[in-house]
Amino acid sequence: MRKGAGRTVLELGVIVAAFLLLSLIIGIYRTPDFIIFCIYVLGFNLLYGFMGRLSFGHMLYLGTGAYAVTLFTEHVSHNPFLAILAGVIAGAFIGVVLGPIIVRTTGACFALINLAFNQIGYFLVLVAFSKYTGGEDGMSTTFAKIGFMNFGKKPVIFGFALFCLLLTYYLLKKVTTSPFGLLIRSIKENETRVKFLGYNTFVYKWITFILSTSIAAFAGALAILNYGYVTPSFIDPTRNVEVIFATLIGGPGNLYGAIIGGVLYMVISNYLASYIPRWEMFLGIALLIVVFRFRKGVWGYVSDRLKLKAETA
Amino acid sequence: MISTIAYGLTIGAILYIVSVGLSLTFGTMRIVNFAHGFIYTIGAYLLISLLPFTRENFFLSALIAVAAVIPISYVIERFIVRRLYGVSIDYAIIATYAVVLIGVDLIKWIWGATPLSLSDPIGKDISLPFVTLPLYRIVIILISILLAAALWLFFKKTVVGKIVVAALEDKDAVRSLGINVDRYFAYVFVLGSCLAALGGVLYSPITSVHPYMGSMILLISFAVVIVGGLGNLRGTFISAFVLGLVMAITGRYWGPAAETMVFVVMAVALIIKPIEV
Repeated sequence: MRKGAGRTVLELGVIVAAFLLLSLIIGIYRTPDFIIFCIYVLGFNLLYGFMGRLSFGHMLYLGTGAYAVTLFTEHVSHNPFLAILAGVIAGAFIGVVLGPIIVRTTGACFALINLAFNQIGYFLVLVAFSKYTGGEDGMSTTFAKIGFMNFGKKPVIFGFALFCLLLTYYLLKKVTTSPFGLLIRSIKENETRVKFLGYNTFVYKWITFILSTSIAAFAGALAILNYGYVTPSFIDPTRNVEVIFATLIGGPGNLYGAIIGGVLYMVISNYLASYIPRWEMFLGIALLIVVFRFRKGVWGYVSDRLKLKAETA
Repeated sequence: MISTIAYGLTIGAILYIVSVGLSLTFGTMRIVNFAHGFIYTIGAYLLISLLPFTRENFFLSALIAVAAVIPISYVIERFIVRRLYGVSIDYAIIATYAVVLIGVDLIKWIWGATPLSLSDPIGKDISLPFVTLPLYRIVIILISILLAAALWLFFKKTVVGKIVVAALEDKDAVRSLGINVDRYFAYVFVLGSCLAALGGVLYSPITSVHPYMGSMILLISFAVVIVGGLGNLRGTFISAFVLGLVMAITGRYWGPAAETMVFVVMAVALIIKPIEV
């Protein structure tokens, strides 16, 4: 038990060190973006990597968090912590409501139903409720200062985002190594057998779905804290491929993989994209390569190599 | 109101043509073929490029465009989809989505991103009691009904059709009869792709042609398949026309909501009759 705890602390330390190093390389102003995207990938990975349900509409949950935070600060309170809490609750709420419809399906149906709901959400934000959401222009917001937590300052956001990433990582570590985590991985492998053992798989799938939507909304809320404004691009269904690509390239079904994938995707899209003239085609070809030749992702590749080395040594 | 209904039937006809292919591939292989939407788009673009060569003969160009899709869809089937049968549905979704990304970018490269528009190929109106409609719309509806009849004959009377219907019911049983199911899947895939291209070709004079035109129609077709039942051809026919009418009637009262309403219907259908696959 103590050994396990020590290992977790070590892992958290590695993450902190890695992002501090990253902030030295790319500057502290851009790092929070990377960290927040990693939180989003972690939430998506719980659903796809661990439970084997590919959502093609996860932007909906990110956007729910983003818009909930903005609307909360506009109409209720400028307290950043309450606002983030409101965003997470909104994400959990949408998971509770849509879950019973969505989690009964698997495979292609699951992917596309998420996408369909994402489309509805995008429409609601862009057209139906444009009076409240600012429509295509979006809207900006401000957060109040609480003590030393002044979210107008980038280093504070960096620290807070990193803290949130560690929190999410720790939570997911606990969840995925618990009996609950074992069960959702069994659902990925063979749901019928899990049902046969007497488990009500629907409830487990629903809870996992709610966790995943809440984490996505958490990431959306933090993104607003970072940017200070919200636009429909936070809920745009065409951006769903980003998180899928990040999860695949990092290595699905692994927490480290999610973080590596998140950082890699952000590096590619932020720095490489300006040098690649046909960005969409590049992304498509990269996806095909990952699907056909590189299924385990970067982390899977690295850990296989390490295992091989350990065996030969 | 009558013209709204006629418009709805036109959309329904297009939806039927596009979604019957999706229903077949989805029903047999359990693969959602995102590339279906790309094929729909490329059909419309091929039509536009072919028009100058056929002296603006719309129907000849349409025919060539649909035929030209056969090799494209065969390549997609042979090199991407076939390698993923039975491996994992998720990888198939991602791989066909990758095809869409590449294909859409190719379209933007070749034809540019600005929307193009076509004029009505017939250009005549027909006067019915109470209402005057463009003849072209009537032609679309007639084509879709003829197609439904042809497909019905194909699945009832030909051996290939019967094998596909049997595979929709139970793939493994058909395989155990010594039939190479995968080869028939390839036929179904190409047939479905041709229908997608036909849908794109027929709809292009009504709407504008742009690189992303396929993504929304793919989602709506998917809703058609869900509401009609996976691999259920009669259900697909009915739900295509019903959802077409839903779109037209919603669009009459609140334009931007037309497409969203389809997904609301789909959600309701899923609540009433959940799919547990």
